[in-house]
Amino acid sequence: MRSKAAAVLLAPSFMLLLAFVILPLLWVARVSFNTTVDGAYMVSALTLENYTRFLGSPWYLVNTLWFSIRIAVLSTVISVALAYPMALYIARTSGAQKSILMTMVLSPLLIGLVTLVYGWIVIFRGGGLLNSLMIALRVYDEPVRYMWDLKGVVILLVYIGMPYIVLSLLDSIERINPSLVEAARNVGASPWTAFWKITFPLTMPGLHAGLIIVFSLNFAAFAVPLMVGANDTQMIGLVIYREALLNNDLPFASSLSVIMVAANALILTGMGFVFGRLILNRLEATR
Amino acid sequence: MMRTDVGGWALRLFTYISMAFLFFPVAITLLVSINPREFVLPPTGFTLEWFRAAWASDTFVRAMGVSLWLGLTATIVANAIAFLAVLAMIRYDFRGKTLINLLIMSPLLIPTTIFSLALYVFFARLGFGAGIPALVIGHTLHVLPFAVRILMASMQNFDMSLEEAARNVGAGPVRTLFSITLPVIRTGLLSSLVLCFVLSWNDFPISVFLAPPGWTPLPVELFSYIKYQYDAVGAALASSLILISALAIIVIDRMSGLRQVVNH
Repeated sequence: MRSKAAAVLLAPSFMLLLAFVILPLLWVARVSFNTTVDGAYMVSALTLENYTRFLGSPWYLVNTLWFSIRIAVLSTVISVALAYPMALYIARTSGAQKSILMTMVLSPLLIGLVTLVYGWIVIFRGGGLLNSLMIALRVYDEPVRYMWDLKGVVILLVYIGMPYIVLSLLDSIERINPSLVEAARNVGASPWTAFWKITFPLTMPGLHAGLIIVFSLNFAAFAVPLMVGANDTQMIGLVIYREALLNNDLPFASSLSVIMVAANALILTGMGFVFGRLILNRLEATR
Repeated sequence: MMRTDVGGWALRLFTYISMAFLFFPVAITLLVSINPREFVLPPTGFTLEWFRAAWASDTFVRAMGVSLWLGLTATIVANAIAFLAVLAMIRYDFRGKTLINLLIMSPLLIPTTIFSLALYVFFARLGFGAGIPALVIGHTLHVLPFAVRILMASMQNFDMSLEEAARNVGAGPVRTLFSITLPVIRTGLLSSLVLCFVLSWNDFPISVFLAPPGWTPLPVELFSYIKYQYDAVGAALASSLILISALAIIVIDRMSGLRQVVNH
């Protein structure tokens, strides 16, 4: 009787998710084996040609898959480099200062992407602020192309990834018992040694969590390369978008998403393995 | 001792520089939108001319209407079904609860690219393609996990004996819901409503995939505007969106704390 009540309460969300998330995902997997005739009409089939078209093409593998991985890794690493010190500093603050810093770090997550992109365009476009400043300071003579270029894509991915990394790291840092660091200092460790031996290893789980989120977001990104990328910024998410909406090649777009999810899972598994080893090694070393 | 101070000082400096990086584009957009001379910085005066032009544009006003309608529908539907789901998860024990929870959170775990593509391909199969139903459903499911999480947190602190007391003195289930349950969780509910709305209102990736021609939400309209036109009217519109988001951020932060709400 009681579980019947629970079933009734859960029915609306369950049905909606089943009908519009699970079924469509399964349908995408099915469509990835279909073919397209005359470049527009989808025909039901069971063929691997969409997969071989991508995986069998060195051009796609280098310019789309490997390119996306490289860009995602690069942006994620820069995000971490910028966010790690921020997380350390925010963890030391308290009260009003902390809540103001937190609000500032997190608000880009709620301000829309287009709005943020607009600000960057003003700064980075050909005759924009940065170029005017650099030319005025004689750093270089000709305007440098930042927007509608790979640089713009990386800058924006770094920017969007930072809040997530700060958030995951803070969860870890705040869990560290301060007396551990204090004890290390009392037995004569320098602040740097204390950080390296105590704090840093203990932030590994938070860093791992942040990397999972941000790498996946960057790897699958299509909105950022769509908005500020160049024509040759063939990130896999953007290729999916173009194939589906501009070329109406749903089977190819679907097979690309399957490949993207598989590649992402593979990379995250590898990363999980590395983090597992890192954490284990640290434990052994400190024993 | 000296070294600690140097380290701490460097950390603080670095943090403020990174904060400046985070806020630079927002600040620049706001400055450009009130500056009478287009894109000449620092500002030479103050004007609301660009705002007036942005808010008088038929295209933008129509897009605002679309975004408002879309945001309100997605918010109300998502919160209604989230409320029911949270009631079930908090009050009843049943098998497969973890699985249900994972299913509800799934729109957050699936990349937006694939989430949108799946809806696009699926609706094409149903014969609609990109259209209003796909867009509304996409937005609703996108904000659903946030609603569930916030409502779950506020229901967890809810004292069940209050409801029992109301029932004991003869209040029906509907009356109990409106005079006990909803008032008690109102801060959580309010921040959930505001968050869901602002996420939908500002969403670009799902909308650009699923919006049908002639029914364009504001962020997509703004994007196509700044792609072809580069003037301060775009800045004024972007600033309007920033101000609306800022208001939402303040409300959410006051009600539930921003950090609890956006954590993945």
